[in-house]
Order: sequence, then C-alpha cells, then structure tokens
Amino acid sequence: MGIRGAKTTPKRQGPGGRGPAFDVEALSHVDSLYRTARRLTRTPADAEDLVQETYLKAFRAADSFEPGTNLRAWLFTILHNSARNRARDRARDTVAVDSEAVERAAQTQPAGGNVTPETLLMRDTLGPELQAAIDALPENFRQAVWLRDVEEFSYAEIATMLDAPLGTVMSRISRGRRLLFDHLNHLKPVNA
Amino acid sequence: MPESSFPGCASIDPLVTPYVDGELAAAERQIVRAHVQVCPACLARVSAEQAVQRLMAESKASLREEQASSALRTKCGALAAGMEHGADIRPRVLDTLARGTWRARLVPLALAATLVLIAASAFIYQLTARSPRLMAAELTADHMKCFAMNGLLGTHQAAATVEGSLASGFGWQAHLPDGPDREGLALVGSRPCLYGEGRVAHIMYRHNGRPVSLFMLPRKQMPNADATMRVLGHEAAMWSVGDRTFVLIAREAKSEVEHLATFVRASLH
Repeated sequence: MGIRGAKTTPKRQGPGGRGPAFDVEALSHVDSLYRTARRLTRTPADAEDLVQETYLKAFRAADSFEPGTNLRAWLFTILHNSARNRARDRARDTVAVDSEAVERAAQTQPAGGNVTPETLLMRDTLGPELQAAIDALPENFRQAVWLRDVEEFSYAEIATMLDAPLGTVMSRISRGRRLLFDHLNHLKPVNA
Repeated sequence: MPESSFPGCASIDPLVTPYVDGELAAAERQIVRAHVQVCPACLARVSAEQAVQRLMAESKASLREEQASSALRTKCGALAAGMEHGADIRPRVLDTLARGTWRARLVPLALAATLVLIAASAFIYQLTARSPRLMAAELTADHMKCFAMNGLLGTHQAAATVEGSLASGFGWQAHLPDGPDREGLALVGSRPCLYGEGRVAHIMYRHNGRPVSLFMLPRKQMPNADATMRVLGHEAAMWSVGDRTFVLIAREAKSEVEHLATFVRASLH
C-alpha cells in the first residue's frame, strides 16, 4: 500500500519540495517516532529499522507533503503504514489475537464494585509500572491510547494513522483506558 | 458490579471518551453531565477514564523518557544527507518506480561509500509463476533496498564469512571469485531482505564504488533464463547452473554487466 499522503495530496510540480528546514524538522521527531515504534515492534532493533524505513519513505515522498500541514502527524502515518506492511509481510510470525474476545473483555466494567475516589487516584503508580501496563494492552488499544494520551494527536489524526474510522478510534481509546484502569487497580493492595 | 440500567446509557457510552478529553460540544457535554448525576454505572466509566487520562498526563515526562540512540540519529541524519547526494541517481529510477505499483515497496538508493559486500537471505515472490522480467524486477527492488539498508547499517563481511553463511544457509559450498579487485569489485556486508516468500542468497559487491547484486535462487526457477534484460533502470544478467539460477544486477552498461557476469560465473556453481 502507498503512503497515504502521497495518495491524497497532489504532487507538486517543480523542484524545491524538500529543503533543509524539512529535514531538520523531520529529524527532530526521531525520539517520539522511536518511542512509538517501540510500541509497534517486539525489539529495539526492529523499532530502529522501522524508524529508518519511515525516514527513507518520508524523504523520498517529501514532494507529496503539503507544506503547512502537520509534518509530525504525516511521519506518524508513514510509520504506522510501514508497521502494517511489515506485519502483513511477516504474517506467519504474528500471534493471532482473538479480537472479539478482547473487545468483550474490554466491555466489562471496572472491577471491584467498590469504585471510590480513593481507588481512582492511582497517583502512586510509577512510570515503569504504567509503561508496562500500556505495553501489555492488546495492540489496537495500545496504539490508540498511546497516540492520544502520550503523543497527543487528535482523533482525526489518529484515524488517519491507524487507517480506521473516527468512531473506532474513540472506542479503542475508551476500551484501552478502561483496561488500563482495571489492570492498574488490580496491582493495588485492597485497602490502598 | 454497576450495571448500565438507566435508559440512555447506550447512547452515553460513545460520548464518554470525548467528554473526558474535552472534545464535546456544550450541548452534548451537558447531556453527559446530567446523565452521570443519576447513573452510577456511567459515572464509574467516566471516573475510570478520567483517572487513567490524568495519570497519563501526569506521567508524560516519564513515558517520554525513552530516546532514540545516537546511532539511530546518525543513521537517519545520514539518510537525509544521502538522499541529497544521491540526487543524480534518484530522479530517473524513482520516477520510473513512482509510476507503477512499486512506489511503496521501494526505497531509494541512498548510500554511503563505505560498503563493500553483502551476503543476505532475500525473500522473493513466487517466482515460478512469473516471467523472467518480473523476477528481475523483484530482485532489482531487493537490490536497491538491501544496498540502501546496508548503507545505513554499515555492515561488513569477509569472503570467508560470506561463504560460511552460504554453506550453512543454503547448503551451497560456494567459492567466491578470487581477485575481485582486478575487476574493480569489492565485497560488502550482510542484511536480510524482507520481501517475498521464497528464500534466495544475496551477495553484494561494489564495482568501482557502484552497487552490484548477485542473487542465487536455490531451485531452478526459470527455464531458459539465460538472458540480459533492462529493468527499472538496471541491467539484469541471468543464467542457470544445474538447479541454481543466478541473477546479477547493476545500474551499469549492458556490456559491463555481462562482463561481470562472465567473471563471476567462472567461479560460482
């Protein structure tokens, strides 16, 4: 499949589609692309490969980038498209997820039946603990929550990246957060 | 456990996330507020999402601690620079590719000049069902991709290492041509290619600095494959020895590619 931006944006004529400013800004997003790639791959080496593939495609397709639009969102779209292509290429290696079962599980209410303001604070959750909980989410939910709550993209931008309808994106964010809530509360002592 | 027993919960549920994110219009926001005042189940949902959303917001600094390695930064920076320096070879090849379905699969040839040889496992599509020209095109795509990636990674292997991996990976006791430097050839590094379904050996050289790929397909894929053809701006020379099919690819003159093929062919079986 193609790069979304390259499909939907008319190719601009003439030279000068990509200048030093484009390169500098694109490269300034390497940390957040890498962090996100870590959530999309199994190993740091795979994440690095994915980021490099993203930049290769981005520099090559720079002429199709619409100046004035969000370069970071465009790079993230390329990243996710590349990750999907890889997943397809390596379908034999991927672990099939029973997505319906996952979605059913996610439908359940926060556990405990005793949801009080105290249990909702969760302020003593440590960064690594939260990171581990995020990484343990089913892939679709993890991506949506990560892009929204950590990378702070809009629903529409996330929909483009994940190639999913807006309603699906919102529902994945919702279910991802509820799963996280359950998970983090189960880690707490009963009387926390 | 709270139940969604109030009428209207089903219509409130999709509003919970945008409500928590402050993305609802005033009227819808008011509907959610009024509902959760009388519905503990939906209040619990809103509270749970709010708690997580706030926790994430407060933990953002920690979640963003992970950084790209300096090596990755360097590689990506080199990529930007390499694309500029590769401008002479880019337009023609890439414009050709951009017209077809190749555009998303191919990466441009963006190379540092440090490489010298690659033996890699490459995956190619079901070759038996395809024409020699399509096979050559697939392999040319792998050729470009592998060299671009190797340029980034700076891998490097000795002849003995390459021969060892050909023996263990393909049961092929290959003897790489002696004295490649006499022909202006230098051996490079190794990197697995990601495309396709079949496994092929991919040996990479530089010829006077320019990338040359030699593919070995372990089963005879093409009858009468002895030919040289032009694909994607490259020349591809093909031949078969026993069960093995060889394809040598470079962006050089046809006569030069055929000369290199003859040289390689004398040693490799």
